[in-house]
Amino acid sequence: MDEPPTQEPERSEQDRQPPPESKAETDRGFEQLYRDHLRDVYSYAYYRVGDHHDAEDLTEQTFLQAYRHYPRARRESDGRPLRPWLIRIAHNLASNYYRDRSRRPQTPLDSIEPPAARHTTEAVAEGRAELRAVMAGIDELPEERREALIMRFALGMDNREIARAMGKSDGATKVLIHRAIKQLREGLDDDADG
Amino acid sequence: MTMPMDEIRLEDLLADVLQPVEPPERFSDRLRETFSAIRDAAADDLTGWADELTESELDSLRDPRNWVRPVAAVAAGGVATGVLVVVELRRRGRRRRSRFESMLESTRSRTGL
Repeated sequence: MDEPPTQEPERSEQDRQPPPESKAETDRGFEQLYRDHLRDVYSYAYYRVGDHHDAEDLTEQTFLQAYRHYPRARRESDGRPLRPWLIRIAHNLASNYYRDRSRRPQTPLDSIEPPAARHTTEAVAEGRAELRAVMAGIDELPEERREALIMRFALGMDNREIARAMGKSDGATKVLIHRAIKQLREGLDDDADG
Repeated sequence: MTMPMDEIRLEDLLADVLQPVEPPERFSDRLRETFSAIRDAAADDLTGWADELTESELDSLRDPRNWVRPVAAVAAGGVATGVLVVVELRRRGRRRRSRFESMLESTRSRTGL
């Protein structure tokens, strides 16, 4: 007589979940996240608020919120990188920061000293003027476009990461970045034509 | 009339302008201390309380109905994170592996806290 095929017992959703981490593992994971992305969060905050003092506050609050919600974020991330989640927290806090205080950055980007450009000596003066013009152009962009450029260039995020950080689709993000660059280029061309 | 700027040139300029910004070292140290303070504060609350327990009280904690206090203490760690003055909370730095802490790990696992 044939044996009935052995059937796998049905497993509940809870059974399929990986075992929960210990607090020590969670803390180690968070410490790694902090080490890996402190500069990202700080850079984002700095370019959003325009000065080091407020950037420090924003970065601190971002990591405190992230620490609070980290175990859940990790469980729900499905192994995906957590940088977009972290930047999204900073993004939300920065939005609240402006809404609560009804202000724009106190120090516009064009007053930030341009970084030492990687140009030859004879091109330095011209290069710095060009960089200042780009900074001023970024500052004129609508907030979303400016933010997408910060994520792309200061943080080196790809479209997918930016999409997750901004809560948009990949396609919408691609269009957003394209329009940001187009608007910036047109503004610079207009300025050059005087 | 000047030539329109091409996209690649503009992207190079954007990369130059929007370089990553290193946080000041004193700030990184301060932030690290903040997290240590949060962890230590939560751990001290729990170990301090556990030190006061007798053997029979520890035994009674095997009953989940008696887990309200440790779970509340673990949750306090989360509440503390919302408060930026936690740097002031530095207390004793001792961390001891005890029977209570083993039980606490199990509680955390079950409650997801």
